[in-house]
Amino acid sequence: MSHGKLRRLAALLTCSLGLLLAVPTTYGEVASEGQLKAAYLVNFLKYIEWPGTRTTVNICLFGRDSLGPYLASYEGRQVGGRELRIRKVNSPEQLADCQELFIPETEEARAGAVLRWVDKQAILTVSDAETFARDGGAIALVRTEGRLQFDINADALNRANLKASSQMLRLARQVIGSVR
Amino acid sequence: MKRATLWIAMLAAFSPSSHATGDSLDELGLEDLVKTEVTSVSRKSQSLSDVAAAAFVISSEDIRRSGAQALPDVLRMAPGIEVAQIDNGRYAVTARGFNGRFANKLQVLIDGRSIYHPMFSGVLWELDPIPLEDIERIEIIRGAGAVMWGANAVNGVINIISKHSRNQTGGAANVTVGSQGYGNVYARIGQSLDEKTSFKLSVQGRYAEPSKQFDSRDDAEDRLKNGVVDFRFDRDLGAGSDLAIWANASRSTLGDLWRIKPENIGGSIALSPMSFMQRLHSETLVGRYRWLSDIGIESSLQLSGSRSGIEITDFIDESRTTFDLDYLGRYAIGTHDVQWGLGLRNSSDDVSATGSYLQIQNPSFIHRTSGIFVQDDWTLIPESLKLGLGMRWDKATRNDSSYSPHATLLWTPSQMDSVWLKYARAPRTAARAEQDVSILAGLTVQQTQFGNLPIVQYARPSGQGLNAEKAEGLELGYRKQFSNTVSADMTAYRYRYTKLRSGSQSGLIGCNNAFLFVPIPGMQVDPARCPGILSGQMVLLQEIQAVNGLAGWSTGLELAADWLVTPNWRLQLSYSWSKLNMDEGKDQISNADAEMTQRAKPRESASLRSQWNMTTSQQLDLWLRAMSSYERVNITDATPSTSSEPNYVRIPGYVTLDLRYGYRINKDLEVAVIGRNLIGARRFEYLSDYIPTIANEIKPSVMFTTRWKF
Repeated sequence: MSHGKLRRLAALLTCSLGLLLAVPTTYGEVASEGQLKAAYLVNFLKYIEWPGTRTTVNICLFGRDSLGPYLASYEGRQVGGRELRIRKVNSPEQLADCQELFIPETEEARAGAVLRWVDKQAILTVSDAETFARDGGAIALVRTEGRLQFDINADALNRANLKASSQMLRLARQVIGSVR
Repeated sequence: MKRATLWIAMLAAFSPSSHATGDSLDELGLEDLVKTEVTSVSRKSQSLSDVAAAAFVISSEDIRRSGAQALPDVLRMAPGIEVAQIDNGRYAVTARGFNGRFANKLQVLIDGRSIYHPMFSGVLWELDPIPLEDIERIEIIRGAGAVMWGANAVNGVINIISKHSRNQTGGAANVTVGSQGYGNVYARIGQSLDEKTSFKLSVQGRYAEPSKQFDSRDDAEDRLKNGVVDFRFDRDLGAGSDLAIWANASRSTLGDLWRIKPENIGGSIALSPMSFMQRLHSETLVGRYRWLSDIGIESSLQLSGSRSGIEITDFIDESRTTFDLDYLGRYAIGTHDVQWGLGLRNSSDDVSATGSYLQIQNPSFIHRTSGIFVQDDWTLIPESLKLGLGMRWDKATRNDSSYSPHATLLWTPSQMDSVWLKYARAPRTAARAEQDVSILAGLTVQQTQFGNLPIVQYARPSGQGLNAEKAEGLELGYRKQFSNTVSADMTAYRYRYTKLRSGSQSGLIGCNNAFLFVPIPGMQVDPARCPGILSGQMVLLQEIQAVNGLAGWSTGLELAADWLVTPNWRLQLSYSWSKLNMDEGKDQISNADAEMTQRAKPRESASLRSQWNMTTSQQLDLWLRAMSSYERVNITDATPSTSSEPNYVRIPGYVTLDLRYGYRINKDLEVAVIGRNLIGARRFEYLSDYIPTIANEIKPSVMFTTRWKF
């Protein structure tokens, strides 16, 4: 096949895609996984109590992050009277000012190491790796039956000196360990 | 003009339209979030956004929904990867050019262990290294990546990451049957022994009846019988350390036909196909221990041992034992993220050449390679600017030591955009076969005033030894998340290749004393120097010696875009354009090599995948693939020719379509109908190499598959 033919075909394809876009689509309450994960990360801040008081709250994204673009629009908002900041982190020292730490599934290989870095610090660890809560992380975002739900490891919360609201515990798919 | 229209259409299609879901999610509370439906088509694969390299990720769902049955077919979805199917089991796979059955510039790793074969320096794709079902994801990084992935990651690296055994507990059985007598049976059991310990064992067998030769429609004698057993054990040792053990055994039996047998038919030479049976096997045991030191250094130590063999009846019999040791360290401190590593490999072989087409010197050989590297990713400005600097040193038996520097700059002006620049250099070490093997590499018939003279090309290893090939270049990339549903990724590159292996004429020998009466310039008459089957024949032997004689430029552009059109429908586009410009060679043969290399590069390729979840239980997937034409030389050709020009054969470009319809009967049972290569003219995708392969037809096929979990 000639280059010209190939190009015409590609043009045809992209044009038809463009047309499809012009057709209005209605969504209802369906969200993309990235959007939903970002919304969860922000929401958890409202249901978890951190020791001490501060004026800002930081969500830190570890390593090869994938949620940055979805969280960008939340940056600078007020969550529970504190200003929300999004940061990317790679090393233990950068964690000092994190209230919530997201470890993406693709960094699962390093999750064990990261959990040890944050041990006993008041940092809420969240991951979209399915077994994260069982492996000692605080919250795992789990995809089940067309919905995104979460598992909580209460022992991990206790160790981090964090307190989850009873409502949050009730909404969790599964609570591992005992709530103090 | 046409091109402009295309780009405008493309931009229009992928621009952030009115169509984002809005901010309604922001206002929802946790109670609402747990009820919110999530898009059924997942976008797990876009997770390398922070990497300063041309990266592409294939998820396990992408693999399943592609309908592909062999690993190389899965790779077709990545931009910049060239895949040409040769027959039922054999493929030519490369990144960014220089493709061939023994394409040698692409490194392939499974869980960090290289499956690049030191004999031919390439991957034997006909051997299934792991069932597709057991792959968690495939990370493809195009461009020189030697610093992290070792010598031979010249044009790219393919990292295959297998599923953790705790995610494969329970049982599974998949059965696929299809046209051309195709069958694929997969079974798995897995179990969590306790909270921290799990294992899985899987087996897969694949079978295909022979395909047809493209020209004659005769049987191609490429019956495929593949089997693989894969075991994985994982144990979490706590405090950031864990242990994994893999055991894998794989077998492949695959026939082949080579146009290699010279026959004297009615006074003129003709080549008839000769049939070979090829048996491959490989058994591997790998252990990996990862731990975290008290000051925070992450370490990984991997040891592996493997035995493998290649047996081609009446041709070659190779057996090999390989030991690998790999250490990787990582220390993230302040604004630095430092990684370092050490790799040692000891590969000993015994090779015997059993026919008269191939000779080998040093029948037993030990190939040792060692390499060390250090790489630092330094955040210059938080959230905005990151500098990466790395250096690797490699040494391989009979190769010079080589240094591979690597530098990257990643600029993220916003969470939505990133721009990266990369400079890298990588070596491709000379393989055992290139240094020790002499082979009858081709045959042409020249029409001269003295009648038709058969000329046999005889490739000899270099007398002085070959050096490593080198690639060095620059890449520029841009990634943008246009909206919650649209993202795109673009890369432009230009690489300079030097010391590429080519042939160089070292002698023209008359194999029969009658040539004493034929005045051919440069010819010596010496029947004793001709290999046994040719000695005394009325043929000319053209001796070709391997030299590091070629150089050239490779330039290209790659695009990948991902668009979640509706919550149930996802489109993924990839496109690449590339070009090779080889320098002129030093003599006629290297000149011809340069031209062959250049013309064997398809200019464009494209892939458009659509994943549509029609209902919660039905999926319809479509994959449109296109590749432009390229040319290869018919290295064995008995038709008399008057010119000294090689005989180029055009491999036509194609557009084809794969379809898959999946129906989920319940949460544990799924059936699917798969059609592959459904449209387009009758075609073949590949021709000839060092081995004079016959062009085989790549036929449309239909398959029916069931997947059962228990």
